[in-house]
Amino acid sequence: MASLELYSPTDLNDALRFMEKEGRNVTIIASGTDLLPRMRRRKVSPSVLLDISSFTEDLRYIRQTNRAIHLGALTTITDLLESPLFDGKLSIIKEAATHFGAPQVRNVATVGGNICSAASSEDLIPVFLSLDASLKLVSSRGERTVPLENFIIGKRETSIRPSEILTEISFNPPAGDSWTGYEKLGRRNILITAIVNEALSLTLEEDLHTISSARVALNRVSGKIPALAAKTNGFLEGKKISDETITEAQRVLSSELSLTSDFRGSGAYRAEVARVYLRRLIERCSKQIGGHF
Amino acid sequence: MAKRVITLNVNGTEHPVQVDATDRLIDLLRDQLNLKSVKEGCSTGDCGVCAVLVDGKLVNSCLMLAGQCDGRRVTTLEGLVDDPTMKRMQGSFIANNAAQCGFCTPAMLMASWDLARHSAEPSNEEIKVAISGILCRCTGYYQIIDSVREGCKRGEK
Amino acid sequence: MSEQASKLLDSLKVKAERGELLYIGENIVRVDSMEKVLGSPVYTGDLLPKGTVYAKLFHASVPHGIIKRMDLGMARSRPGVLGVLTSKDIPGLNESAAVLQDRQLFADPVVRSTGDILGAVIAETSPAAADAAGKIEVDYDRLPAIFDPLEALGPDAVRIHEKGNIARQMKIRKGNVEKGFADSEFILEKTYRTQFQDAAPLEPEVGLAIPEDGGVRIIGSMQSPHHTQAAVAKVLRLPPEKVRVIQAVTGGAFGPKSDETPYDVCSTAALAAVKFRRPVYCPMDREDSMIMHTKRHPFVISHKTGVSKDGMLLADESKIVGDTGAYASLGVFVIVRATFHTVGAYEVPNVKADSNLVYTNNTYTGSLRGFGGPQAVFAFESQMEELARELGMDPLEFRLKNMLVPGKKNATSAVMDASCGLSQCVEKVVTSSNYREKAARYRNQMGNVRRGLGIALLMHGNSLGPEGNDYGAVHIEVLSDGSVSVGSGLTEYGTGAISGIMQVASSVLGVPLSRFRLERPDTSKHRESGPTVASRVVVIGGNASKLAAEKLRSRIVPIAAGLLRVDPKDVAIADGVAFDQRNPSKTVQWETVVAEAYRRGVSLREDGFFMAPPAPWDQEVGQGTPYVQYTWGALIVEVEVDLGTGSYRVVGAHAAYDVGKAVNPGGVLGQIYGGTVQGLGYAMMEELLHKDGAVVNPNLGDYYVPTSMDIPDEFKAFIVEVPGPLGPFGAKIIAEPPIVLPGPAVRNAVLDATGVSVDDLPVTPEKVLMGMKLGPRARSR
Repeated sequence: MASLELYSPTDLNDALRFMEKEGRNVTIIASGTDLLPRMRRRKVSPSVLLDISSFTEDLRYIRQTNRAIHLGALTTITDLLESPLFDGKLSIIKEAATHFGAPQVRNVATVGGNICSAASSEDLIPVFLSLDASLKLVSSRGERTVPLENFIIGKRETSIRPSEILTEISFNPPAGDSWTGYEKLGRRNILITAIVNEALSLTLEEDLHTISSARVALNRVSGKIPALAAKTNGFLEGKKISDETITEAQRVLSSELSLTSDFRGSGAYRAEVARVYLRRLIERCSKQIGGHF
Repeated sequence: MAKRVITLNVNGTEHPVQVDATDRLIDLLRDQLNLKSVKEGCSTGDCGVCAVLVDGKLVNSCLMLAGQCDGRRVTTLEGLVDDPTMKRMQGSFIANNAAQCGFCTPAMLMASWDLARHSAEPSNEEIKVAISGILCRCTGYYQIIDSVREGCKRGEK
Repeated sequence: MSEQASKLLDSLKVKAERGELLYIGENIVRVDSMEKVLGSPVYTGDLLPKGTVYAKLFHASVPHGIIKRMDLGMARSRPGVLGVLTSKDIPGLNESAAVLQDRQLFADPVVRSTGDILGAVIAETSPAAADAAGKIEVDYDRLPAIFDPLEALGPDAVRIHEKGNIARQMKIRKGNVEKGFADSEFILEKTYRTQFQDAAPLEPEVGLAIPEDGGVRIIGSMQSPHHTQAAVAKVLRLPPEKVRVIQAVTGGAFGPKSDETPYDVCSTAALAAVKFRRPVYCPMDREDSMIMHTKRHPFVISHKTGVSKDGMLLADESKIVGDTGAYASLGVFVIVRATFHTVGAYEVPNVKADSNLVYTNNTYTGSLRGFGGPQAVFAFESQMEELARELGMDPLEFRLKNMLVPGKKNATSAVMDASCGLSQCVEKVVTSSNYREKAARYRNQMGNVRRGLGIALLMHGNSLGPEGNDYGAVHIEVLSDGSVSVGSGLTEYGTGAISGIMQVASSVLGVPLSRFRLERPDTSKHRESGPTVASRVVVIGGNASKLAAEKLRSRIVPIAAGLLRVDPKDVAIADGVAFDQRNPSKTVQWETVVAEAYRRGVSLREDGFFMAPPAPWDQEVGQGTPYVQYTWGALIVEVEVDLGTGSYRVVGAHAAYDVGKAVNPGGVLGQIYGGTVQGLGYAMMEELLHKDGAVVNPNLGDYYVPTSMDIPDEFKAFIVEVPGPLGPFGAKIIAEPPIVLPGPAVRNAVLDATGVSVDDLPVTPEKVLMGMKLGPRARSR
């Protein structure tokens, strides 16, 4: 760590210029709550850090436009908890934020940092996957928008380009008869890396019985990569909610999960909990919508 | 990296300081500014005994690089020594046996003071959440929770 | 009578008539509270003089091997590095071991665990030292390594130490188990396992050494300054007088700071201080500490227990194996306590126990609060639960039938006397928890959320008992301004026990605790008082303090009598005022009496020394009275389990401890709350893991200590007082006992709720769920 460089750009454009030149060697730091412990434990050894934590005017905001909610990448977890926008149908965000880290961590950890870590330990990723979030990635050459579900391509690996900075996360609140839910299992109640972390965004048809869309996302689906449970979601679409459907969906989920074991939990246990949570989330969400269950 | 000069406000005073890239806020506070109430217990942001207020928010100072603190406002326990709310909280900690080995006590006091500013009658649950990021191995938390509840009450001597 | 006079009488005489003692049994403001709430710079790391350099320890990277080559060249040439210390730099003995001399300070050439310290980098700054330590390369000839203590017992197992893999053995032979089994209606054989626990005091181990006077002054975070002094003197080849050790305010301890680790950090700092003529700070960071300090011994305990038709315990045979890791440390005594507590708080007429303390190539284990008790009691209380269920008896009734009461004999055949307060403890928790009504209600539960109740009972032998002479010294001096200075080699690290012994002196002298000052334990000033372990301070130190205070009082009273012009037998002192008991308006201030004493040249310094009576026992058969008195306790825990995931929470905890006399009730409760929560961590979530000998989770993000969100919703703690024969005013120890019972109580409560027997700690949601899937009550959807 002795040869570390910390570059604090004057503004976002300065940062982008720096990334254009040095991007390949640069690690972006916002709060450092994920990066610094990993550096301390020698899991990563960056040589150059780019500090974007001061760009709060540009990158820390929660805005609502016509159909969408836009979160600046530097929005903190506490910001999410304090926003009046995330109750009701979007309570999934507050539920996840409540169980995220601890107060000192929530006060500085950022939504952007969470997503770019792309790790199964990042609680918000399943939430934003279930909400079908989009990411705005900016470089000095322009910007592009990428669906979150295409962004995470491996364990702690994203499709961000070396010259890019994530600036915004946006999503459309689920429309119509819909609800969201979140479950997290850990060995203690706070400050805990999830064993299983599962989010659901459920939309029903007008008959309040048929699933028009289900987006289940987990901290791990295959290996250690947060992802949507695509097969399960595909199965559920168009089905009528019933005990049998849910049981069948659980079987599909089981077949889709390929989970490894580590000291926090075995793959078999994680899969079992994921199945149990699937049932609970579907039942809970459909009940909230006023559906048949 | 050459040392960089930053200026931050600590306990009401502006401090220009020289920092390395690897210096953390806790190193700056303890070693350069001699504020020893800030403790280091785990170095990975998991125990909270390094907690201080930065721009009014409780933060783990072992997880903030000093180089990121230019222009910020930091408050440690030393800066609140004359604050009436803190004095009331400290008195409550003493009366309720909340400090055993004392290593988590400064951080617990910072979190409690932060809570007291916002609430005169926090529920047990709110108190537990406020201190949930600070580990205590000695007390089992109960006497700390009692202390905080009492210390939040206003209009006392 | 004046108001003051009647107050004084109230304080003293009326209390005496009520059988109460001045200041004893009152909540006090501890003498060290103020500095802690002010965040004062009183811990070792706050005291670094200008020019202090840093030592960073580096450790082995293989669990078993012989060092072939250590390349220090790159490390030495890194910026800011003064040098690298290894075994070659030790002028004295390369030893750092608490009991058996089986461990070196810097391992050379044999490495027996990844926690073995190989040396230290000394550099101008902490980051420079850490950076250079990362550049050290070591080559080993690897040896086969053992991580399972049962494997280490095997005849062909590789020898970890020359004398083999058994560090100590213990036996109990009471009665005749064969006959007991023959008479038994039912016999149950089961094996239980416990895990490595890390003490995780919030302040890791640290030491500061300052060269002076041809020797060193050491300031450190520790439990036993005199032991540290002896250890460092041996390494530096200095006479002990040249090694002055002062215990700084210590941020928690729980055991490891009474084992080798303070010797390691202080010896390293001292070596570097002498070599480089600079003050040297040797801190362990959390990762260093969790790899290099002692943990709680994992145990494998098998019980074969026989009961009669009507539920009386007849015989128990246990095989006890403790994994002491690479070095024995205090394991040689942990195994003893575990063995003596092998049938817990119950009378079993025939007991056979065979214990082995075994070396493995895991990181080493030693002292941790409870010291073998948590492991032994987990096993036997779990066995009691299994037996009750097999017999179809209520778990409480089964325990009541067999528990120790006055007149019954424990595992060592010691007869329990009237000071046994176990049944009072049980009654308190049964009532508080509403056990009987809930137990009946919980028999018929439906749905995915279920509740359960678990009980465990405690017998905990007080003080060092079988570990050696148990003695302590306390020095009291009344200063010319009337304040009272107390010093001892016994240490405070959060327990409040030192305030407790000062409270005892305060009571005897009649001077409020607010006038007392604590001297920092200092080997140059205070007598060796043994280690501050085994919760012995209030009992041993309290008695020493009482003796010193009584001697002082006997010199002060005649002076007061002279000033009051009364007979000495009429003098009383309370609240800092000496007065005539028959005429309380006649008073003289304490300060005036003290000034007169000084004027007359009467010495107001006194030493009190107390040694516990011998605790004789027969080593061959483990019978006798290894403990002079016992602390008793009972815990009932109520859990609520989510059958879908196996996760659960403790909704209620009801604890009662017979502490003989609660000198400082608030302090006693603090120990009960704190110890119970630490025990809940052990029961539910704490597990220090090794993989191929390397610690998997040496940090507090992956090793889970309970947070404020993990404590029981409701916790009712009760103090029971049945005076014991040993401590001042009948006091018994309290610091360790509360950590013992949560393990089995939680395990039994989960069994009650789910039908799942988890036989190895911790009781994790995964074990509960997987147990349900295997068992007859599997319920997940």
